[in-house]
Amino acid sequence: MTTPPPGRRQFLAGTGAVGAAALLSGCVTSGSTGKSESGGDVTLQSNLSAPQAKTAMQKVVEDFGKQGGAKAKLNTVAAETFRTQLPTYLTSANPPDLYTWYPGSVAESYASKDLLLDVSDLWTKPELTGYSDALSKLCTSAAGKKVFVPTTYYWWGVFYRKSNFAKWGVDEPKTWDEFLDLCDTLKGKGVAPIGLGAGGNTPWVASSWFDYLNIRINGAAYHRELLAGKHRFDDPEVRKVFDRWGEALPYFDPNSTALPFQDATTALLQGRTGMMLIGTFFADSVPKEQVEDLDFFRFPVIDPKVPVAEEAPTDGYFASARTSRETEVKELMRYLATAESQEIYLKHSSGTALPTHPDAKDSGTALVKKGRALIEGAAELTQYFNRDSSDALQPPADAALTRFLAKPKEIGSILTTWQRESQKIWGR
Amino acid sequence: MAAVVTGNPVAGEERERRTAKEDNGPRRKRSTRVPPVVLAFVLVPLLAEAFWVFWPAVQGFYLSLTEWDGVSAPRFIGLGNFREMLHDDIFRTAVLDTVLWLLLFGGLSALLGLGAALLLQQERRGVGFYRAALFLPVVFSLVATALVWQAMYQPDGLINQALESVGLGSLTHAWLADQDTALYAVIVPALWRQIGYVMILYIAGLKGIDPVLYEASKVDGASRWQRFRHITLPQLRSVNAVVLSVIVIDSLRSFDVVWALTRGGPYHSSELLSTYMYSTAFQSLRLGYGSALAVVIFVLAFGVIASYLVRAFREAD
Repeated sequence: MTTPPPGRRQFLAGTGAVGAAALLSGCVTSGSTGKSESGGDVTLQSNLSAPQAKTAMQKVVEDFGKQGGAKAKLNTVAAETFRTQLPTYLTSANPPDLYTWYPGSVAESYASKDLLLDVSDLWTKPELTGYSDALSKLCTSAAGKKVFVPTTYYWWGVFYRKSNFAKWGVDEPKTWDEFLDLCDTLKGKGVAPIGLGAGGNTPWVASSWFDYLNIRINGAAYHRELLAGKHRFDDPEVRKVFDRWGEALPYFDPNSTALPFQDATTALLQGRTGMMLIGTFFADSVPKEQVEDLDFFRFPVIDPKVPVAEEAPTDGYFASARTSRETEVKELMRYLATAESQEIYLKHSSGTALPTHPDAKDSGTALVKKGRALIEGAAELTQYFNRDSSDALQPPADAALTRFLAKPKEIGSILTTWQRESQKIWGR
Repeated sequence: MAAVVTGNPVAGEERERRTAKEDNGPRRKRSTRVPPVVLAFVLVPLLAEAFWVFWPAVQGFYLSLTEWDGVSAPRFIGLGNFREMLHDDIFRTAVLDTVLWLLLFGGLSALLGLGAALLLQQERRGVGFYRAALFLPVVFSLVATALVWQAMYQPDGLINQALESVGLGSLTHAWLADQDTALYAVIVPALWRQIGYVMILYIAGLKGIDPVLYEASKVDGASRWQRFRHITLPQLRSVNAVVLSVIVIDSLRSFDVVWALTRGGPYHSSELLSTYMYSTAFQSLRLGYGSALAVVIFVLAFGVIASYLVRAFREAD
């Protein structure tokens, strides 16, 4: 049987009806405010997009799937997109369930608005009872609820290639003066002593220099207070930081603000720069065989009277308070807190991070042992500029620091502007 | 809806025959009645537009009167955001850069687009290749284009290498990292992409000019410049209106290439209103202020285009 072709008017009427139906259904869906449907895989939204880290996350999720309980689906998003979209994810009616992110003030900004799932009960389970008090405190909101499960932490240090230091006949410095001498020697050998990588999409790397100089000169307590808005960026104490930075500035790679940290890493590996203050995450983009040639030293001591603090950012997970898969999400978070899952992650990533579970084995390399000793020997730990303040304060800092690197003599007006821009964020 | 539209064809024919015999009054009334299907074709897209375009735009206007971090409830502050703009140095930089962008990007793309169109309008052997080559960048995603140019602008990239190889090593530069060159370096890929598009618009305009006009002017002894000045330019007036609208809108919404290359930096030296709006809203999480910036962009685009069109219509009358 053949169906006669529809007439023009029928066709038009039909098209109009379909359009109206589509519009109405669109209205209904977009206006929905209900929770996401229960059941199904737990959505794990991850910002770990470096190849090794992404593979490691996939292995962790696969292993969780083999446990026989709930299942998870990994959704890796580029780090910058993830960061800008996070408030939208958490406030949407149908949010992803679980997120890779940071504890401390960053998590608190969402916890204070009741956007994070209360996971206090998880912290009474065997997987988490052995975690240190410092970690427990870091994962607790101001309201006293646990909102975070930490899984790894890492350290920042001044990294270099052992073979290059041996070739150049130089050693690790301990003090600021020794550091400047080392820079002088390297410069004499035609090498740019200090690589940075604050160009492209990673201007935030420059904050590491500000953080370290501030905690070495003014101490970690002052640093945290400054980032919380209790001091001003145009205070004389902050000016001292830039005076010291100015001493090292002639030794920075001229391409410091032209290359992102990934390219600056390549320059370090190829021996075009001598050393680089960076976190161990950079090793996720380094070929495995070259990781063995990497070493680092503690950021030099400037004032021996100031207790030595180190940057040791903690990574882990928080969940949306609006998830409808609360049981499954907690099952996954409990699994992520185990020594087993953390070892799987470290095995498949660059292996330079440290696990938070006290029984989990780290990769055991000399580099990791040295990193663990650095953190354990520190009088205090800080997280990082944006983690100790907020993501919103990072752009004014990026602008101020890149401006300083280009025009150090304008530091007066740079600090005034930095304070004014930050005030707008603190004041809201 | 279908029953209303189709109705009864036989009854419809009878009615039409009857109305032909009747006086003009009711006939005119019937003929102006809009068929429901046409109404549906107007109303359904209007509803869709209202829901997905007008409503968010109205919400944007409302948000510009609030202080909002994207997470808590917005707090109404009246014209506070607009008052803040008056004392905002970065806003001032962004406005100046946007004007500069409009002049350089807009002016050069119109001039070079017209020049390319004049060169390539005539059907000669191989002209299709050149047209395609100039139009090709339009096809590429602007972000992909920006990434390619980013690699070329790198300190050891193609541009610096080329300068070195021709003995101009002293001119090598960190193009995107220098406050003095970043904005101009970003304009180049944007221009590279826009020229082909403007060229196509002008070629279409040039093809529409009656060749008799040129022949007559040649007979009258007009020079090439006179033909261009007195025939081509006046005949392209309607295309100019389109090109201007496109250029103004494209200039004010230029974002992707700048964001991919410099993110408005270093130190806001390539900051456009669009990049400042994005970074304020989504990086500093000041969505109220970001919305106020979006309102300014809208008013500027609308103002420039409306004033030009009003003038163009007046001249046409």
